[in-house]
Parts: sequence; C-alpha cells; structure tokens
Amino acid sequence: MVKEYLGKGVVKGCVTAEVVSIPHSFSFLGDVEMNLGTLLTGENKGVSIKNKILLFSESKGSSGGCVVLLTLVKKQLAPAGIVTIKMPDYNLVEGAILSNIPFLANVSPTIFETVRTGSQATLSIHRDGFFDSFVLH
Amino acid sequence: MKLTDFEKRMLDGQFGKALAESLHYIVQFGEAFDAERLVDIQYCHYPAEMAIYEGSIEELQAFAADHSHVVVPTTSSTLCADMQYPEKTGIPERLAQKQSLTCSAHQKLGIQPTYTCTPQLNGAIPAFGSPIASVESSAIIFFNSMLGARTNRGGLFTKFSAVTGKYPKMGYLLEENRAGQHHFQVKDFPANSTEDSLWWSALGFVIGSSVGSEVPVITDMPIAPIERWITLGAAMATSGSVSLFHAVEHTPEAYTLAMAFKGKTPQTSKTIDKQMLVTAIEQMTNLLPNEKIDFICLGCPHYSLEQLRIISNRLQGKKVDPDVRFWICTSRMIRSMAQTAGYVQVLEEAGAKVIADTCPVESHMRISTCQEYHLPLPQIRALVTDSFKMARYTKDLIGCKVGLTTTEKAIQSALEGRYLVW
Repeated sequence: MVKEYLGKGVVKGCVTAEVVSIPHSFSFLGDVEMNLGTLLTGENKGVSIKNKILLFSESKGSSGGCVVLLTLVKKQLAPAGIVTIKMPDYNLVEGAILSNIPFLANVSPTIFETVRTGSQATLSIHRDGFFDSFVLH
Repeated sequence: MKLTDFEKRMLDGQFGKALAESLHYIVQFGEAFDAERLVDIQYCHYPAEMAIYEGSIEELQAFAADHSHVVVPTTSSTLCADMQYPEKTGIPERLAQKQSLTCSAHQKLGIQPTYTCTPQLNGAIPAFGSPIASVESSAIIFFNSMLGARTNRGGLFTKFSAVTGKYPKMGYLLEENRAGQHHFQVKDFPANSTEDSLWWSALGFVIGSSVGSEVPVITDMPIAPIERWITLGAAMATSGSVSLFHAVEHTPEAYTLAMAFKGKTPQTSKTIDKQMLVTAIEQMTNLLPNEKIDFICLGCPHYSLEQLRIISNRLQGKKVDPDVRFWICTSRMIRSMAQTAGYVQVLEEAGAKVIADTCPVESHMRISTCQEYHLPLPQIRALVTDSFKMARYTKDLIGCKVGLTTTEKAIQSALEGRYLVW
C-alpha cells in the first residue's frame, strides 16, 4: 500500500531510496562514523546511511554536524535525502543546501508507525506551491 | 524575499562574483525558511576549517582568495591542534602543516585568531538585541541566552554572512520565536554547586534531552559565576539542540516568569531534583569507582582566566600521576593572560598541559582521523572530566571509557591516577 506523508519542503530535489529510520533525535557529530558512513549509536548501529533517505525526529548536538555532513558528501557516503519531524535545524539545512540534499521537515510523527529501516520511499520536494511529500512504497 | 537596492546590486555582481555567490547562498537559505528580508549582522563567530575534515582547508583557501575581507568583527572557532605549540597535543607534522594554512587564510580575511569555543571570554560581547551569525553550539546558546544577542545555530553559511554582513531575518532573530516553551523548576540544586561545573553540566544535559530544540525556562537557580552558565548552555546544546534558554532573574529576557514566556502558557512544566542529575551522571559514566585512568580533561568549553587561576592554585606544589595525561583546554588569548599571571607555569610544573586552540574531540585523536591519516590510535583507555559535552563526544569519537565527576574530584583523580566519584 502506498502511503504519503506531507511536510514542508526545505531543500528541493527528488529521490527514491531505502530509508534509515531513527525514531529520536540525531547528531551528525558523534552518531555517524565519518570514514564508513555508518551509524555509531542506537538501534541502527552499524547501518550505512550512504544514498539512503535518513529519517529522524530532530537534530541535536554540536554545530559541527553540518561539517560532518559535507565531509560525508565528499567521501560519497552521504544520505540521498533527509526527513525530520520537527522544523529543521538551521545548521543542517546549510549543509543540505551546499550539497543539494533534498530536505523535508514538519512530517507527522505517525510516520514512524509505518516507515522502518529498509523501507523503500520517494522524496519529492518542488517548493513551487504543490505538496512536498515522502511516499512509502 | 524583499531585498534592498544595495543587496540587489551585490546579488547582481556589482561588487564582484564572489560576493554575489555568497549572498546568493544567504538568500537561498532565507527563502528555505520563508524569511521576508535580510538584516545587517554585528558580529560573526567563524567556522575554523579543520584539517581533519576532507577538503575543508582547500575550500577555505579558495574562499579567502576570492573574498577580500570580512565586513564585521569576526572571531574564529577551534582548530584540530594547538597551533602555537603543536608538539603539546602530539599532532603529526603533516596534519599540523595543513592546519596552519587555516591561520594564514583567516589572517588574510581579517578574522581574529581566537580559535576557541568561548569567544565571549576573548572579548566578543555582542550587544543586547543585535543580530549576529555564529557557529559553535555552546557559544550560540550563550550569545542568545546570557547576552540577548540574536542568532540561530550557524554552520558553514556563517562565512557567507561574515563577508556580506547579511543574514536572513528568521528563527531566533524574530522576537516571537524567543518565547519560553517549557518550564523547569530546579529543586535541591546542590548548595556548593556554584563552585563546581558538574551539576550545571548535568542540569543542562537533562533539560536538553527533554526539550530537544525548543526553549526552556528555568526557575530557582542560584546566583553563580558566568562560567557555570557557559557550562549549563553547552550541555543543553549537547543532548538537545537548544539555542536559547531563559533563567528567571538571571538572563536579560526573563526578569519574571511571565516575561520569559511572553505571556504564553508553558507547554510542559517539570521539576528537576538532585536525583535526576545523579542518574544522568551515572548513565553517562562507564568507569568504575577507583578504576585506573590515563586521561583527565578540563576546559570543555574552553576555560576562563579565573578557572585557570583556581586550578593552578589547587595544583601549586603538587604532581600529577605520571601515568595520567592532564589537559586543561582554553583559548590562546586566555593562555597568554595566564602566562602573564604565572598560572601556566604552576600548572605545567605540576605536570598538567595548558592546551589552546583545540580539545581532544577536535584533535587528531578522533578515531576516524587516525584511520584516514594512517595514524596510530590515541591509546586512551579511560578519561575523567567534569563536562557532559566532553564525555558524550569522547565516548564515541575517541572510543574510551569515561567518568564524570566534580572539577575538584577530577583534579584529585589526576593526582591519584584513579577515577574518584563525585
């Protein structure tokens, strides 16, 4: 069944990819291994975020997170898209704009009831007045 | 977004291609958050491109070549080594050489060589109400909360603000977003806490975990030195991404509880007691009492002159256990004052190192940096600190066990070579 979640599009772009779902707050500094692009903490420990749609509730921690994201981009280990429940962290959006990573915010927390790590989804963000969405396949 | 004629001319390239591009990013950023216009910032705390991040130094050099200079007073954030005395942190020479390129690029751009996470202790005191652009989560929360300056959690775009002098009017630059959202009443805060950072760090960590990115209002806090408030904010910005808090009767936008909430009703109200702080300390600590240790780190965030004076007083005539590395991190500006005052000499005679410009987490000791540069791993087994921020990041990034304790017990732990609980 296709399920759609609407949100506020922050950075434009469209991508279809596997999801990594982190149902709590997340910090690029400290929660990601920079040489491997794998998660260091939580229930997804060891899972790669490379080319995945990274879904988490909100950002936390150091403002160095933005630099870690860009470093992952240079190493081709970055996520393909980012989705957050809360309004996005300014710091992280800077990194997403610089690296053209589509970013959707303000998505209903009920997303965690259906979307799991390994789910396939499409993120489409146009910022042109139409609905920006995350569609679970 | 509504732009002034001057901004339009800058965007059109009348002041050069580089400034047009920098302003373009600022405008794009503002549009992402539906900002109506840009404002003139009064100060910038600039990201210090670190050699441990791939391509970062090269990007800085290109940016410095393209832009003539910053247009507002600008200080610089931390580096990956003590660049005045690189041998102190044991950084490999090629990494130090690479990092030194940051210093020349910053000098060219007119950035003050502060290299610190506490620029406010180096004299960077933006006026109440002034918009600024800042990196460093612990500085951001201090500028917003203790000084009443206006900033969001800045990242790499702060460099575009430094050269254009512009930032979108959004987030905490808007008065309506500065209202408190959650009320925390602090009960049984330890009586001697004004002298010690640990409890402040624990309180900040507990509040940050609870509010995430929202605005907490704290009541019943004691009068305390400014360093305790720096510690409190740093911890809130570690477990959460808090950029602004109000402490009633202590911070400038909260003379009263009603003022802190701007007339709105708190979304939640909680009481925090000593037991909750103890639980947080115990959850973060994975060292056993009296377990042998090999590293003590104080100065997260970077210490003030007064904090260095207190530790030097305490270590006068004493000797740190020979198996223990004891780092006290500060800025080079404060270290220079401490040298003048004679504190550095006392500390180093006792066997401690006064490290400037960096900290263990930002240094080459990070496991990922060791792997990337084919360096031997730092061989740190057990670290003791009084800071939740240091504890949280060293655990995963350096891969050592950590023990939290009071500043006083951390010093005693350094002398005895074992972890003394608070």
